[in-house]
Amino acid sequence: MAAIAVQGLTKVFRSRAHPDGLVALDNVDLAVADHEFVCLLGPSGCGKSTILNVLSGLEPRYAGEVTVAGRVVSHSSGHPFRVGYVFQEPRLLPWLTVRRNIEFVLDSEGVPRSEWRERTNAWLNRVGLRDFAEAHPHELSGGMQQRTAIARAFAVDPEILLMDEPFSGLDELTARTMRELLLEIWLETRKTVIFVTHNCFEACFLADRIVVFSPRPGRVRKDINIDLDRPRNYEDSRLFELSVSVTHYVTGKQVS
Amino acid sequence: MALVTESEFRIPASRKRLRIPEGLSIRVASLVALVIVWQLGSLAFSARYVPGPLPTFSALWDLAQSGVLPKHFNVTMIRMLVSFTIAMLIGLAIGTVMGLYRRAEQALDLLVMVGLTIPGLCYIIVAFMWLGLNDRAAVLAIAWTTFPAIAINIWQGVKAIDQRLIDMARVFGASGWRRTARVVVPQVLPYLMAAARFGLGIIWKVTVLVELLGRSDGIGYMLNYSFQMFNMADVFAWTIFFTIVMLAIELAVLKPIERRLFLWRPELRA
Repeated sequence: MAAIAVQGLTKVFRSRAHPDGLVALDNVDLAVADHEFVCLLGPSGCGKSTILNVLSGLEPRYAGEVTVAGRVVSHSSGHPFRVGYVFQEPRLLPWLTVRRNIEFVLDSEGVPRSEWRERTNAWLNRVGLRDFAEAHPHELSGGMQQRTAIARAFAVDPEILLMDEPFSGLDELTARTMRELLLEIWLETRKTVIFVTHNCFEACFLADRIVVFSPRPGRVRKDINIDLDRPRNYEDSRLFELSVSVTHYVTGKQVS
Repeated sequence: MALVTESEFRIPASRKRLRIPEGLSIRVASLVALVIVWQLGSLAFSARYVPGPLPTFSALWDLAQSGVLPKHFNVTMIRMLVSFTIAMLIGLAIGTVMGLYRRAEQALDLLVMVGLTIPGLCYIIVAFMWLGLNDRAAVLAIAWTTFPAIAINIWQGVKAIDQRLIDMARVFGASGWRRTARVVVPQVLPYLMAAARFGLGIIWKVTVLVELLGRSDGIGYMLNYSFQMFNMADVFAWTIFFTIVMLAIELAVLKPIERRLFLWRPELRA
């Protein structure tokens, strides 16, 4: 687990369509404390996902300073710390069973083989997939595939956990149970989480703190603390009120 | 809360797969029907023009007994295997480069199409005129005719690689070599198998033609020889033999490999 510090992060994409460069992120400062659950909230194309890509090492070319637990995220290749990443799509290897998918990342992260079985079983148990370890991804529903992806991310015992709209492809009922599951696991593990979403209600339900982004170029518009008790409850009326006011920040309307 | 709540859950089909492949009886029946039609045809026409199954297999038996068949079969198989290997290597290299680099794709896509369009016969004649009537020319002509189809399949396969899976592996710390071996190659394998199939399909036909035109051994040469002798039973015998070998390779080599490699794919599990 580790704190994340982003200072003056600017990311410009150059392409044939934008020869002068498309500014995805403009001088973004973001600090996430150890054990904190932060949601990045904003409309599509505001550069939220780009922050995750920089933090995970997928986007090594950036301007500014990005550190995780005091270590600078490399500008050239790789990253010096373990990242758990849950993508919008499950991104499981379709030719491997659920178990082998998790073992694949354990192996990649250099976890000794002797620990694979125990860790994999424990995490599959935790997400309710004990009986599906030997199934292939296509035999699972979308929700179960995403559970596998969550188990995979936690199984590597990540220092930071990055989540990129992981529930936006699921139906709302499934998404609700998944959010509750995620929060349960998070309360047990207290990983440092950055969770990207465009869903205000989801952000209020999950986060300790919400960072609202403006549309392109992405800038931090508002930093909101969510002081709701945990474990949280969908029926909480304060949750509803909060999500209404947060929605106003996102759409740019003033709260009266 | 950790219980699985998703309502629609597909039961794994693999665990109750039948021993006898579905549709086997219909396939056998269609083969039997072919033999019956053949027999009827031989009765309707003179055996000189349409030898029936029995005379054909007896001719085949004689060819096998005399040692003629094994000798020419070996020659043909070696030519095919060597050409196939060369064509696969060239096709793999060109297809991979085309799939990876847009400039290479722009430079080569028309050329590959042209290569695919020119009839194999043209390559064969040119190769024999350049290099003489020898096996080097034969192998060159066969490989040259075959590699464009292989390159196109590999090209498509490389283009279809899902970058998102590679990114996933990278985020979780997989090295470049590991990403290639464990994430990229398995994605290209189905296309590689398709390329091998296409390649073999072309190679059978071209090899026989090469042997007919410019070699003095091999199954193509013997087919031509039987034609010169107007020995229809031998023509049929060689054809049948070739067909059986092709089927055997398909059923005994390609299908089992495919089944092993793609066990996880739902469409192949029926």
